[in-house]
Amino acid sequence: MTNKDKYEKVFIKCFGLDKSKLKKDVKYNSVPKWDSVGHMNMIAKLEEAFNISMEMDDIIDFSSYKIGIKMLKKYKIKI
Amino acid sequence: MKKSLNSFDLLEYQPNRYPFLMVDYVTEFVPGKYANGYKNFTNNEWFFPVHFKDNPNVPGVLQLEAMAQMLTIAITTLPGLKGKVTHALEHTVRFKREIRPGEQLILKTKVLLWKRGICDGFAQGFLGKELACEANMKITIPEILENFIPRKRNVKKKL
Repeated sequence: MTNKDKYEKVFIKCFGLDKSKLKKDVKYNSVPKWDSVGHMNMIAKLEEAFNISMEMDDIIDFSSYKIGIKMLKKYKIKI
Repeated sequence: MKKSLNSFDLLEYQPNRYPFLMVDYVTEFVPGKYANGYKNFTNNEWFFPVHFKDNPNVPGVLQLEAMAQMLTIAITTLPGLKGKVTHALEHTVRFKREIRPGEQLILKTKVLLWKRGICDGFAQGFLGKELACEANMKITIPEILENFIPRKRNVKKKL
């Protein structure tokens, strides 16, 4: 499984999304399940999937699918 | 040595008050790990005359509340969290048996995960050795959780 597969899987599973929706970008609060609790759940799943521990500022700035891809580069995760 | 909290001490860690305090005594706890104790239900409880007149029993929502309040103590006994208010996020609860006046609900709660203001936990309520209710619970300390959500940062930037 590639990093992109893992990344997409977390979004699909946490927010109950269709894969096609991810291409258009998905933002915080733009889908019903990406609320504050969904956000923390998604961050926890990403940390588990990539074996990383994200910093507080990065968790706050992680406000969309596309921003997340850029964010993970900081943790040496290339999507 | 086991740590416990009597009916007065626990008020420092549990912000609910009469008639909504659903924990009488914490018999044992380890901060961030678990909290056990009990709630006695006497005929004097405010809800028995109305739930129900001819068949008094503890409302399920209050059994759930008792489990949530005990789980809260497992978290608020962590350093710096004394007296913090918690909110429920998601609970899946199963009720097994009615609880009647005069019975003691023994509460056993376990923290499965505590991270960034969210607690995943599991709780059970027993009458003697008989399971009366159990729940998978997710609770939060909003004051902590709010520090991690994107909306807050965006608001600050606009200001």
